[in-house]
Amino acid sequence: MRIPTVFTPELQKQYHVTGRMVAMAGGLLFAVSAYLPWAYTGAALDNMSYLGGPSTLQFLGLTLGLIVAWCAAMGWIEPWADRRGFARPLIRVSKRVGWTRGSKAMGIGLLAYIVLILVVIAIELRGLVAVEWGGWVALVAALMAFVGTRLLIAGRAPSLERVRSAAWVEIVAIALILLLALLLVAYALNQNDGGIFLSIIAFAGALSAFVLRSGIGAWISEAGQKHRTVLVFSSFLVAFLFPFTQNGSDANMSIATQVLVFAATAVGLNIVVGLAGLLDLGYIAFLGAGAFTAATLSESAFATINWKPPFIVVMLIAGLISASLGLLIGSPTLRVSGDYLAIVTLAFGEIFRITMNNLDGQSGPNLTHGSSGIPAIPNLELFGFDFGKPHVVFGITLGRFSNYFFLMLLIMAVIVLVFTRLNHSRIGRGWVAIREDEKAAEAMGVNVFGLKLLAFAGGAFLAGFAGAVKAHVDVSVIPDQYVFLESAFLLAAVVLGGMGTVIGVILGATLLKLLPEKLRFVSEYRMLLFGLLMVVMMRFRPEGMIPNQRRALEFHSDDEELVQEIEEDLPYEFAEEKS
Amino acid sequence: MAFFIDQLLNGLSLGALYALIAVGYTVVYGIVQLINFAHGEIFMIGAFGALSTWIVLGWATGGSTAWWNMPLMLVGGMLVAVLTAVVMERFAYRPLRNAPRLAPLITAIGISIFLQEFIRLFYGEIPGFPDAKAAIPFPQIEFFTGDAVDVGGQLINRGTFFIIAALVVCWAFLWWFVNKTATGRAMQAVSQDPDTSRLMGIDVDRIIVIAFAVGAALAAIAGVAHGVRFGNIDFKMGFLAGLKAFTAAVLGGIGNINGAVVGGLTLGLVESMAASYIPGQFGGAAWKDVWAFVLLILILVFRPQGLLGAKVVDRA
Amino acid sequence: MSTETVVEPTGHTVGRETILAARNVTMRFGGLVAVDNVDFTVHSGEIVGLIGPNGAGKTTFFNCLTGLYKPTSGEVRFMGEVLPPKPREVVVAGMARTFQNIRLFPNMTALENVMVGRYCRTSSMAFTSILHGPKFRREEAETRERAAELLEYVGMKGQGGHLARNLPYGDQRRLEVARALATDPKLLLLDEPTAGMNPQETRQAEELIFKIRDSGLAIVVIEHDMRFIFNLCDRVLCLVRGKTLIEGTAAEVQSDPRVIEAYIGSPENEEGGAHA
Repeated sequence: MRIPTVFTPELQKQYHVTGRMVAMAGGLLFAVSAYLPWAYTGAALDNMSYLGGPSTLQFLGLTLGLIVAWCAAMGWIEPWADRRGFARPLIRVSKRVGWTRGSKAMGIGLLAYIVLILVVIAIELRGLVAVEWGGWVALVAALMAFVGTRLLIAGRAPSLERVRSAAWVEIVAIALILLLALLLVAYALNQNDGGIFLSIIAFAGALSAFVLRSGIGAWISEAGQKHRTVLVFSSFLVAFLFPFTQNGSDANMSIATQVLVFAATAVGLNIVVGLAGLLDLGYIAFLGAGAFTAATLSESAFATINWKPPFIVVMLIAGLISASLGLLIGSPTLRVSGDYLAIVTLAFGEIFRITMNNLDGQSGPNLTHGSSGIPAIPNLELFGFDFGKPHVVFGITLGRFSNYFFLMLLIMAVIVLVFTRLNHSRIGRGWVAIREDEKAAEAMGVNVFGLKLLAFAGGAFLAGFAGAVKAHVDVSVIPDQYVFLESAFLLAAVVLGGMGTVIGVILGATLLKLLPEKLRFVSEYRMLLFGLLMVVMMRFRPEGMIPNQRRALEFHSDDEELVQEIEEDLPYEFAEEKS
Repeated sequence: MAFFIDQLLNGLSLGALYALIAVGYTVVYGIVQLINFAHGEIFMIGAFGALSTWIVLGWATGGSTAWWNMPLMLVGGMLVAVLTAVVMERFAYRPLRNAPRLAPLITAIGISIFLQEFIRLFYGEIPGFPDAKAAIPFPQIEFFTGDAVDVGGQLINRGTFFIIAALVVCWAFLWWFVNKTATGRAMQAVSQDPDTSRLMGIDVDRIIVIAFAVGAALAAIAGVAHGVRFGNIDFKMGFLAGLKAFTAAVLGGIGNINGAVVGGLTLGLVESMAASYIPGQFGGAAWKDVWAFVLLILILVFRPQGLLGAKVVDRA
Repeated sequence: MSTETVVEPTGHTVGRETILAARNVTMRFGGLVAVDNVDFTVHSGEIVGLIGPNGAGKTTFFNCLTGLYKPTSGEVRFMGEVLPPKPREVVVAGMARTFQNIRLFPNMTALENVMVGRYCRTSSMAFTSILHGPKFRREEAETRERAAELLEYVGMKGQGGHLARNLPYGDQRRLEVARALATDPKLLLLDEPTAGMNPQETRQAEELIFKIRDSGLAIVVIEHDMRFIFNLCDRVLCLVRGKTLIEGTAAEVQSDPRVIEAYIGSPENEEGGAHA
C-alpha cells in the first residue's frame, strides 16, 4: 500500500543535497536543544527546565538527534572514505546499511517524540505557554530533520544480513541488546508518571523503527536465528534478572506477574489461532477452568472439594480438565469450520461463565460459590519453598510476586517450547496445510480433524496450567474474571503482536497489559481503544507488529511485491533444500 | 393454564424480538456471506438513538410522554442505527471483502467492543443525557406502556402487543420489499451470484449497503421494542441479544428471511418453556441462556442449514 | 501415428496384480443415474485412461474410485478391500491423486508441499515433536531427504526453496505429482494432468508419467487431450452418459467410430454432446 506523498521522486532528485544538509543540521540542533530548557517548571515529566543539564528524556532525545545527523552524514562520509580508501572493512559493512532509509524512519520518530513530549507538557502544565523556548527549538529541529530526510532519495535496500560476522560479535550484540532492553524496561516501569512512560515507549518505537528500516534489524534477526539457543536462553536470563532490578519493591512485580500470566495465555491461544488457524472466542474459559480447579483443590477454607493433593498434581489435573474441555469445544470442528466454529467457541465460553455462576448450591450443586467465587486461596508451597514469604538473595529482597514471577517464567518457557517445537515439526506443517487448503490437505492424507483437536486440546492444556498458578497469584477466583471480553482481549494481543509468532505475541500482550496499568487514561478507555485497535489492525496490518512471514503472505495474497520480497529472503522456517 | 399462556406470550414476544434482530444477520449473510457479529450492537445503538430522540424532543415539549413521541423515537432510532451500520460497512468491512475469513470476524468483534464502550463512556458526557454506565430507564410513552391489558381474564403486557405488531408489520414490509421492488429483486440476484449480477448492471456495493441498512432499521425497531417491553436499556444489551438472534438466524437457516422469523419465535418459545418447565436444579431462569447456547451448538453441528434450510455454502 | 511402439511395456503380462477393481458400479443422485453399471480394473504397472465427453460421469466415477462417494450399488475394491469414504484413509491405503485445478499449498515452499505429502507415512506426534529426541530428528531428516529426492525425480531439482505460488504453471503440475508420490501410493490418479499446458510441457508430463509407471505404480488418467491419452495409455475406458461405451487398448478405442461420434456428434444423434 502506497501512501500519497508531497515528497515526489522529482522533488527528491532536485533537492536531495539541500535535504541532506537540512537533515544534518536538524539532527545536530536537536541534540544541542537537549541542553536547553524545554518546560517552564520542573513539574512536567522529568524536569526539563534546566539550561545545560539535560534530563533523562532529553538525553534520550539527544541520542535520537545524533542518530539522524549521523545517518544523513553517512551519505557523504561513505563515498568520501571509499575514494580515499580509509577503513576499507568498515566501509564495506557500511555500504550494506540502509542509512538513508534509517534516517527517514528516525526523522518521523524524532518528530513524534518531541510532539508527544510537548503535548504532555501542555497537558500537565495547562497549556502550551508552559513550553520553554528550548522546546520550540527542539520542535523546529525535529521538523527540519523530518523534511530534510523526506527529501533524501531512499536508494538501495539494506542488505546487512548478508554480511558475515564472527560468532562472538553476534552473541555480544544479542547480549547488549537484551541488556539495553532490560534497563529500558526496568527504568520505564519505575516511572509512575504516565507521560514519562509514554515518552519512553515513543523513544523505543523510534529506535526500533530506525533499526528495522536501516537493515540492522535484519542483521540482528539473522544473528538471532544463527544463535537461537543463545538468544532464547539469554532472553530468559534477562527476564529472570528482572526482579533483581526492583530493589525489593513488589508493586512492579505484581504487574509483571500479571503480564506474564496474560502473555503465557496469549501464546497458548496463538497455537490455536496463529498456527492452526482456528478462531477461538472462548479461550478464557480454559484459563478459568484451570483456576477453578486449582481453587477447589486448594487449602482455602472455601474450597468445595475436600482433597488436597500437592500442587504439581493439581496443575496436571487443571491441565487435563482444561484439555478435556478443549476436546469438547474442538469436537464440532469435525463438522463445522470458519465463522460457525468461532460462534461455537463463543457459545461454549458463555456456557462456562454461566455454569460457574450457577454452581452455587441453589441453581446447581455447590462447587464455586457462584458469583462470589472462591476467596482466600493460600500461597503455594513447593518443596518447602513458601511463595508467600519474601526471600533475600544477594542482599536483594524478592517478595511474594517475585516468587510467582519465577514460577510463571518457568511455565512461559514450557509454553514457548511447546509452541516452537510444534511449529517446526510435522504437526506444524500439517497446520499450515490445513490453513492453506483444508480439502487438499485431507486429500493428501493429513489428519485434519485430529490436528485441529490437538490444537484445541494442547492450547487448553497450557492455559489450564497458567490458570492454576493464576488462582494462587490472585488469591481469589470469581467467574466474572473469565468473561468474553477477556477472550477478546487475549485475541487482541495475538492480533496486535502477530499471529503465529512468539515474540510478537509476548510484545503485544505486554503492551496491552502494561499500558492500562501505567496510564490512567488508557485504563479508562482500555476496551474502547483495543476494539478500535483490532479494527485498524485488520484493515492496515492484519499480520501484526512482528509478523510471521507466511501469515503475512496469507493476508496479502494479492501483493506481488511483498511475495517477491519475502521469497528473496525466506527465513529458516521455510525449510530450504539442504542439497 | 393462565401460567402456560403467560409463558407462551412471554416466549412469543421474546422470540419476536430475536426475529427482528435475526433478519439483519440473515439479510447481510445472504448477500455477502459475512456474519456481521457487531449487529447486536446496532440493536443497542437503535435503542439509545430512540432514547436520545425522546430526550431532545423533551427539551421542546418539557418531557411530554404523549403517544406521538413513539413514531418519532422509532424514526430517530432507525436513523442512528442505519447510519452506524452504513459507516461500519463502508470503512471496516468493505476493504476486507477479499481478505481471509478470519479478518472480518476479528474486525466485527473489534467494532462490537468499540461500540459498547463508546456508549458506556461517552453517552452520559453529552449535556442533558443520562449516564450510560448503568441501565437507563426507558421513557414511558402513553398508550404503548402502562398497565397490562385484560384480554378475557388474561393479563397481557402492552409491550408484548407492541413487539408482535412490530414483527408482523416488518415481516410484511420485507416480503413486499424483497419480492415486489426492483431493489429487492436485485438483492435476490446478488445473493445468488454477485459476479453475474454485476455484469447485469447491478451496483453490488449499493445493494450490500442497502442490506446493512435494512437490517439496522429492523434492529432499531427491536431496540425500541426491548425498551418498551422491559422498561430499561443498557450498553451491554446487544451482546447477549445479538448472540441469541444469531442463534435464531441459524436455527431458521441463515440467509432465509422467513427462516429468521420462524427461528426467532422458536428460540423464544424454547427459552421461556425451558425456564418454566425443566424441573430440578437445572431449570429456571439461571440456566435458560445455557439451554439457548446448547441449542445453538447442536444446530450448528448437526443441522447448519437450519430448520427451513438455505443454500448450503462452504464456510471453510 | 506410432502409438503401438510406445505403449508396449516390457513384460507387462508377467506377475501383474490387480490394484483396483470396480464391479457393476452404479451411482444415482435422486432420479439421475450418473454412473450406470461400469466395470473397471487397473493392474500394477499399467496406465489406464478414462475419457468421455463432458457430463459423461467421469468425475463421478473418479470420486467413486477414490472413495469419496459410496456407490449406490456395486463395489470398488482397492488391493482387495473396500475403502471407507474418507479421503484420508484412501491415501493411507495407497491411492493418491492430483487435482484438475491445481490445489497446492500456495504459501509453502515446493519442498514443504512435498513434505506435507509425507505426513501420512510419518508418525511423530505432539510429544515426540516437543521432546525433539533422536527419533524425531531422524524422521524429520528422512522426510526432508525423501522430499528432495522426489523433487529431483519430477525434474525440479533445486527448486525446493521457491514458494509454490511463484512456480511456473508446468512446475506446479509436477509439484502436485511429487506431492502425491510422497504418500507412497500404489495407484496414482491424475485428473487432467495436462490441462492448460503447451505441447512441450505436455511431452515432459508424458515422460514423467512413463517414468512413474516403469517404477511399478498403476496410473489412472482422466484427460480431454485424445492424442495424449492414446500415446500414453495401455488401456482406455470411454464413458458416455454414465455407461461404458468401450474399453480396450488405446488402438482399439482410437479406431472405434462410436468414440468419435460420442465426442463430435453425428447427424442422427443430436444429443451426442459437444466437444470439450
